[in-house]
Amino acid sequence: MTLATMGSSPALDAPAPVGFAEKIWRINWGLVLVLTAIAGVGVLALYSAAGGRFEPWAARHAVRYGSAFVLMLVVALIHPKVWLSLAWPIYIVSVLMLVAVDVIGKIGMGAQRWLVIGPMQIQPSEIAKVAVILVIARYYHGLRREQASQFLYTLPPLMMILVVVGLVMVQPDLGTAMMVLMGGGALLFVAGVRIWMFLAAGIGAVACLPIAWSLMHDYQKKRVLTFLDPDRDPLGAGYHITQSKIAIGSGGMFGKGFLKGTQSSLNFLPEKQTDFIFTTFVEEWGMAGALVLLGLFTLVVIWGFSIAFRSQHHFGRLLALGVTAMLFLYVFINTAMVMGMLPVVGVPLPLVSNGGTALLSVMFACGLLIGVNVYRDAQLPRTR
Amino acid sequence: MRLWRKSASPDPAAAENAAAGARYASAKERLKGDAQETARQRLMIASVIFGIAFTAVGLRMGYVSLLRDGAEPTQRVAARGGSIQSERADIVDRNGAVLATSVPVMSAFVNPHLLLDPQEAARKIVTALPDLKYDEVREKLEGDRTFVWIKRGLSPREHDRVNRLGIPGLEFQAEERRIYPQGTAAAHILGYASVDNTGLAGMERYFDQQLQSGETVQLSIDLRLQRIVEREIARAVQKFSAIGATAIVMDATNGEVLAMASLPTYNPNSTRTLTNEALFNRATLGVYEQGSTFKIFNTAMALDSGKVSMTSVFDATSPIKIDRFTINDDHAQRRPLSVPEIFKYSSNIASAKMAVDVMGPEGQRAFFDKIGFLKPVTTQLPEVASPLWPRHWMKINTMTIAFGHGISVTPLHLAMGSAAMVNGGILYQPSLVKRTAASDKGRRVIQQKTSVHMRQLLRLNAVEGTGKNANVPGYEVGGKTGTAEKPGRGGYRQKALISSFVGAFPMNDPKFIVIVSLDEPKGLPETGGYATAGWVAAPSVKVIIEQIVSLYGILPGDLKEGLPPIEIASTPVPAPVVPAPVVPASIRRSPGDHRKALPVRPAPGQTAAAPGPGVRRVASE
Repeated sequence: MTLATMGSSPALDAPAPVGFAEKIWRINWGLVLVLTAIAGVGVLALYSAAGGRFEPWAARHAVRYGSAFVLMLVVALIHPKVWLSLAWPIYIVSVLMLVAVDVIGKIGMGAQRWLVIGPMQIQPSEIAKVAVILVIARYYHGLRREQASQFLYTLPPLMMILVVVGLVMVQPDLGTAMMVLMGGGALLFVAGVRIWMFLAAGIGAVACLPIAWSLMHDYQKKRVLTFLDPDRDPLGAGYHITQSKIAIGSGGMFGKGFLKGTQSSLNFLPEKQTDFIFTTFVEEWGMAGALVLLGLFTLVVIWGFSIAFRSQHHFGRLLALGVTAMLFLYVFINTAMVMGMLPVVGVPLPLVSNGGTALLSVMFACGLLIGVNVYRDAQLPRTR
Repeated sequence: MRLWRKSASPDPAAAENAAAGARYASAKERLKGDAQETARQRLMIASVIFGIAFTAVGLRMGYVSLLRDGAEPTQRVAARGGSIQSERADIVDRNGAVLATSVPVMSAFVNPHLLLDPQEAARKIVTALPDLKYDEVREKLEGDRTFVWIKRGLSPREHDRVNRLGIPGLEFQAEERRIYPQGTAAAHILGYASVDNTGLAGMERYFDQQLQSGETVQLSIDLRLQRIVEREIARAVQKFSAIGATAIVMDATNGEVLAMASLPTYNPNSTRTLTNEALFNRATLGVYEQGSTFKIFNTAMALDSGKVSMTSVFDATSPIKIDRFTINDDHAQRRPLSVPEIFKYSSNIASAKMAVDVMGPEGQRAFFDKIGFLKPVTTQLPEVASPLWPRHWMKINTMTIAFGHGISVTPLHLAMGSAAMVNGGILYQPSLVKRTAASDKGRRVIQQKTSVHMRQLLRLNAVEGTGKNANVPGYEVGGKTGTAEKPGRGGYRQKALISSFVGAFPMNDPKFIVIVSLDEPKGLPETGGYATAGWVAAPSVKVIIEQIVSLYGILPGDLKEGLPPIEIASTPVPAPVVPAPVVPASIRRSPGDHRKALPVRPAPGQTAAAPGPGVRRVASE
């Protein structure tokens, strides 16, 4: 299919109904395979982080991936029009949950991030990430072309993003807030918001830095300072990064070998099963292993872009880009963080880090992404 | 689209070519002004940005894992003369003597990739540091790594020697090393810190944050007394071939722990001594059945209820048979006993009856809850154990608990509870840091008059009961023995005892609680083969009390009523104190005695041949 035929002419958007077999065929099985391979890396790394045991993380990770896998396929087979109509309800529920977690949330690691519903512990910020993508994609799907680039029409999506960012910041969860902000920004960019608005926002952000600084918690300030100057306090706040870099550096080209990492298994590395799992992995598999893992993630991102490119409807395009941006930001922020390129903010490595809600939300998002491909030529009514 | 052109370049074609790639140039005309195309272009731009970001991560990856030559930048900066800013603060005793401190040291490390000749380097290093083995060093240097420690915490002389070798690739890192100048003294209280200066046990762990932020921690411990106590229980362990021991000296008037020791012990300076067995603090982790010392609490509970007076009588004529158990007496009198007799003869039968008749299971449980025996002690150590007590507290439990079986608490619980029983009835949580007047007001658990009766009973027991061996003439010592058989497979092991003595003095207004407990002591001919508390633990309590008297310069005359309360004298010490062990009189003559401020005088009963300068009066009998 060439670009020319992909134009906006409705006559070319073949609205042929797609049969079930065709739907199955249209699932990006290659992408599914890559995702599974990444989750497999996760199981290996968690097995090693536990000192060569399936308990307490690796086995659970595998089981969780199994159920998330089914969820992904189910989501992928649901028609985008359903998501179009569910976007607002999902967004509103996730915002309410964020409010609830801020108000009555259970305290964990000094931050209120979990909501306990029955036997489950839910991290609403993970759900909110997907909800923001859905609701903004839906919003721009409903706009006419020329509206998208007008300033006034940019305000509502900005609000949608900032409400979630604000609620997440209060928790406080700087990493997720950053992700929602940057992911939302990427969506607005692709949706056609003018460049000068991004420039203005950038200048505004720099101007607001002193205020943000005064609002930050002490530990957050420390982390930023430590990021800017790691030599400040190598045994205190710089400890995470110092240990992480030592571990990565000690891996060398091909690593120390599976289960041979000392930094991680001797507990020098904090949070080795969650945010610093990449370090655990690299120490044992070296730069070669790291590049393979990054390569797998790159494949996912490329797939995401190609799905976005091929979607015939704006909703799907934005949805695909949003999900891709989210995955990209996860990987980028996490890996950059453990190598000292970004301050330490709690962002897990998707499909690899231990953690249930994050895994489910990532796989749900991947389901949406694949769904865009399955229904790439569906006709979606403009809802406004 | 409009904006895109405006903001980029006056020539739209050029702008789009540059931004979206040449591929779109051909389709440009047809798709002009199309929002969808804007989206496509921007998708392209986004993907390029993402690609750049991933490339940056990949490059950084290569830099971190391959190019940097091993050492952390932070470490290299430090090695060039910078210093690490975090300095872990000292831990000092109540008089300011340093128990734990940090000293700057140098550590040597090597980047093997930079070595010209690993074998030669290894040979040189071993000559400068003879305690290292050539083979091990060579193996380290030949390995495919970019960073290996050669030795951490070099002495200045070693640093100088290694520096002279001039091996390229060998560098130094300024570090801090935690040292414990008093060696094994107070090891279980101090705990220890890792090479990275993180507290891993004891005070080092409990106050980790505070110490890391540079705040000194001052303990309630008196190092001089701590050494006296450690020496005495070490002697007792050796003499009676015990497998372990613990001792506590507590200020009964405010809960401050003045000394606390546990054997076997370790030297926090030497990682080799950090075995699980040695690290175990019996005083706070050892949950034992305490035996007859519990009669202190049983009797106090009964007296405090008002239903029992000092003249009440309980029948101890015949053993109690309940279920399949028989409760018997060790010093059986086979007759009705008054309360003081019950205490003096340590009658299990009468104690059990007293508990059941007066309080019953509910009341007894409530009492032990009130004095804090059903939960871990709140003190400044991470190592505190939970007591063990029956979930279903029934009549049989009430009977055995009356004489200290069927409930297990730590020796620190015992000290805390005993202090409250004799100090007028106020329970203080034990404190290992020096108390300020405001810190713990305490909580009343028994009436003042009950406490007065308890003083009388404990004194009686030391004069004519099982505690005779702890009596120090002239000093009104009181106390109670407790000998518990250790539980083993399928019942109690009669030969494996925990023999404890709870001492307190002066009994007219107790200031000190002294507890000594020996684990599996063996009887000797001189003790008639007995390994019970009166024979093995009471003498140690006596020795410790004699030395407390000497250390703090307490005269028998100081004990009369109307005089100001006993002060725990302190001096601006810090030199290591080496008191001679057994004979108290020798302490005051130890060379370089810096305790001039103390009014020193000999223990009573000994000839005051050469009274020290500060002696005001000599005890006479």
